[in-house]
Amino acid sequence: MKRLLGVALGILTAIGGFVDIGDLVTNAVVGSRFGLSLVWVVVVGVVGICLFAEMSGRVAAVSGRATFEIIRERLGPRMAGANLVASFAINLLTLTAEVGGIALALHLASSVEPRLWIVVAAAAVWLVLWRVKFSIMENVAGLLGLLLVGFGVALFLLGPDWGDLLAQAASIGQPPGGQSMGSYWFYAVALFGAAMTPYEVFFFSSGAVEEKWTAKDLSQNRLNVLTGFPLGGLLSVAIAACAAVVLMPQSIEVSSLSQIVLPVAQAGGTLLLAVVILGIVAATFGAALETALSSGYTVAQYLGWSWGKFRRPAKAARFHLTMIVALLIAVGILMTSVDPIAVTEMSVVFSAVALPLTYVPILVVANDPEYMGEHVSGKVANALGSVYLVIVLVAALAAIPLMIATGAGSA
Amino acid sequence: MSDIERAARRVIDARLHLLDRQVLDVVGEPVTAIDDLEIVGADGEEVVPGRTARVAAVLAGPAIVTRLLGGHPPPSRWERIEWSHVERVGTTVDLSVDRDALDLDWSERWVRDRVIARIPGGLHDPESD
Repeated sequence: MKRLLGVALGILTAIGGFVDIGDLVTNAVVGSRFGLSLVWVVVVGVVGICLFAEMSGRVAAVSGRATFEIIRERLGPRMAGANLVASFAINLLTLTAEVGGIALALHLASSVEPRLWIVVAAAAVWLVLWRVKFSIMENVAGLLGLLLVGFGVALFLLGPDWGDLLAQAASIGQPPGGQSMGSYWFYAVALFGAAMTPYEVFFFSSGAVEEKWTAKDLSQNRLNVLTGFPLGGLLSVAIAACAAVVLMPQSIEVSSLSQIVLPVAQAGGTLLLAVVILGIVAATFGAALETALSSGYTVAQYLGWSWGKFRRPAKAARFHLTMIVALLIAVGILMTSVDPIAVTEMSVVFSAVALPLTYVPILVVANDPEYMGEHVSGKVANALGSVYLVIVLVAALAAIPLMIATGAGSA
Repeated sequence: MSDIERAARRVIDARLHLLDRQVLDVVGEPVTAIDDLEIVGADGEEVVPGRTARVAAVLAGPAIVTRLLGGHPPPSRWERIEWSHVERVGTTVDLSVDRDALDLDWSERWVRDRVIARIPGGLHDPESD
């Protein structure tokens, strides 16, 4: 019974932990402009993140070594150092977006000045990193994040024409009238970056070490990832579908959180809105914790410092200092009154650019018998891994040219 | 056969198996990554090409800067772990001493004593409750 509960908990937190501010904003923007014609990208992204997370969890559980230790070991100090700078910067951008997302959601619920919420949100994130047990942190944020299922409920209450939605989902590569092909592909890359955010890999591999996984936990890891993420992906699709049903016919272009939750308020009234806002706070809070931890993980693993939430802060001093500094920088950026939604849109595009930096080393090490012994990747994982290597490289190379050509999707 | 003998019988490529590997102390706590190596001749003097040479110490700290940018750090700035402290070479390099006994861990101790330990709760064990 206890084991069954553990399995259920793992899957539920994987669902609730899937959506972050990047998925939320990008899916709503895409839904309001392109309907469901980009849903296939969510599917490609979900399969990719399953593959990626399974590999990084497996490498960490079997070898006990986390991603960035391996990146440095394999690429040498220079290449890995360049990778560290790029990954850290993009992770910092994502952290900024997540903290901003918490503040926006709390602002929506309270009408207190968002800049005040930024400070409260960042302080709360730090306090959890400082005090709370790793497993409790993961489970609470993941379970409350499940409240985002409110988007699915809203979709049913809206009573859309399901046949029309299916037809939109089937129109791959055909943006609805008035939208340019360039923007369509720009948002395809952004959506892919949002689903496959590279920080997840640092977090999964280091989280496996934090929770002291061994080869015995591999089947549980596989189950969590392979059931939790596809269901989390369904939440993403529900967000896009809500926007497609309510916002697209009125030509509302999403530029704020209140527009993202407008379909929910329209369908389910104040109660459902409150549920969804709580879900957004939990989802962004959980992701802020993960990105803050990832900033510490990457630097500490590159330099060989002791790291991990399972240690007393004094036993991983430089790791904790790195996270404090990252949070302070994020607050500093947000205090300039930059729009967190704009930061989010930037962060998902640059995530797509940075993906090969972490994807390639993990793919190589998952096949290295010195680290993996009998747990090297199987044929299916390697075949899929090679296909995704191509997809990841194409998305990374296309991202910046598409951004310039389309004026970040505004064309 | 002890671990050291077994390691000695295996061919170790310094670049592949030593450089940039994680160093763990006697209880498995991370210490540093191997930033560079100090190589000396058999008699502990300068390395003479053609004669045997050995690894005298693992270098860390400022050595990462010269690994990145080239050149050599002055010996006065070296932060070393004597090779005699190395117990085992695997996917990690394991030491036979505690990390607190090593001089090169000073930056961790400095941040701990000046910053982290002074914040309330800095000594709290997060796994205890």
